Amino acid sequence: MAEMIAVEQGSMGRVAYARIAPNEDLVQGVEKVCLAEGFRNAFVRGALGSLVDACLGTVDGKYLQILGPAVEIVSLAGEVRSGEDGSLRAALTGVVADPEGNVSGGPFIAGLNPICMTFEVTLEEWLPAK
Amino acid sequence: MKRVVTTAIPRPRTLIHPGRFNPVRIQSHHSTKGRHVRLALLPGVSLFDGLVKPLAEIGITSASTTILGGYFGGLQYCVAPPDQQRQAVIAYSKPITAGHTYMIFGNATLGKGMNGAPLVHCHAAIRTESGDVKGGHILTDTCIVGRDPIPVLVTSLDEFELRQAYDPETNIPLLQPYKETTNG
Repeated sequence: MAEMIAVEQGSMGRVAYARIAPNEDLVQGVEKVCLAEGFRNAFVRGALGSLVDACLGTVDGKYLQILGPAVEIVSLAGEVRSGEDGSLRAALTGVVADPEGNVSGGPFIAGLNPICMTFEVTLEEWLPAK
Repeated sequence: MKRVVTTAIPRPRTLIHPGRFNPVRIQSHHSTKGRHVRLALLPGVSLFDGLVKPLAEIGITSASTTILGGYFGGLQYCVAPPDQQRQAVIAYSKPITAGHTYMIFGNATLGKGMNGAPLVHCHAAIRTESGDVKGGHILTDTCIVGRDPIPVLVTSLDEFELRQAYDPETNIPLLQPYKETTNG
């Protein structure tokens, strides 16, 4: 098991904005924005858009599926981290609204949240101190 | 409520949009350095004016903002059901009046519309006058800030700008980043 670090000091770097197109996955799309912009670690500064259907994780390992289209993303927070294996991993959490405006929340499951019309995201690069 | 809990992994759906598939799936630009502003939406102004005017005065016309919660004297929002006219996959509903509303959390993107005028795209979670917690696309020009200022964290998007442009694939106008800018 990797050593757990409670405090990581660092500074903020560049700011990227991206528009991600329909049918791309929300979580992996954010990871690919980091690839496109050369970010290795980042925080979400702002995001909004819509999903075809939303898929959120539950505490007991199940999948909460909110059916669209469209399911609006009305709140989103999260980060992207680079791993020792050379991969990037986004962890995104948020609140979504179904086509009647009813809300649900939780962690977005990678690969299971296809974008419906558009997704706008602003990422701020995180530069850990050496 | 259209939601289900499953133990099996749901199969994501790939929707067919009316226009030709664009092979470029991510459009992105970056600023060399983040520039932030703490803004207060002042009582009695619309959410649109409260964002656009003070930021324009300091030269910010493209930005990503986080609305940190507060009361609105009146608020309207839309949801996004399938487009009955079939011009696009979805179309915004008619405005829903939420009345005296608490905005729990919102994100708003500031850019320019097709006509070059300021445009604000905002989604938020709200508690409506009836007490229901809802979410959707906020009509920023009809939302009037209540008696207390509402704090907003602004991240300016410098060295590029956001402009609304017609997107042939989805058949709707969308905010997209372009390299040239007047920010700052």
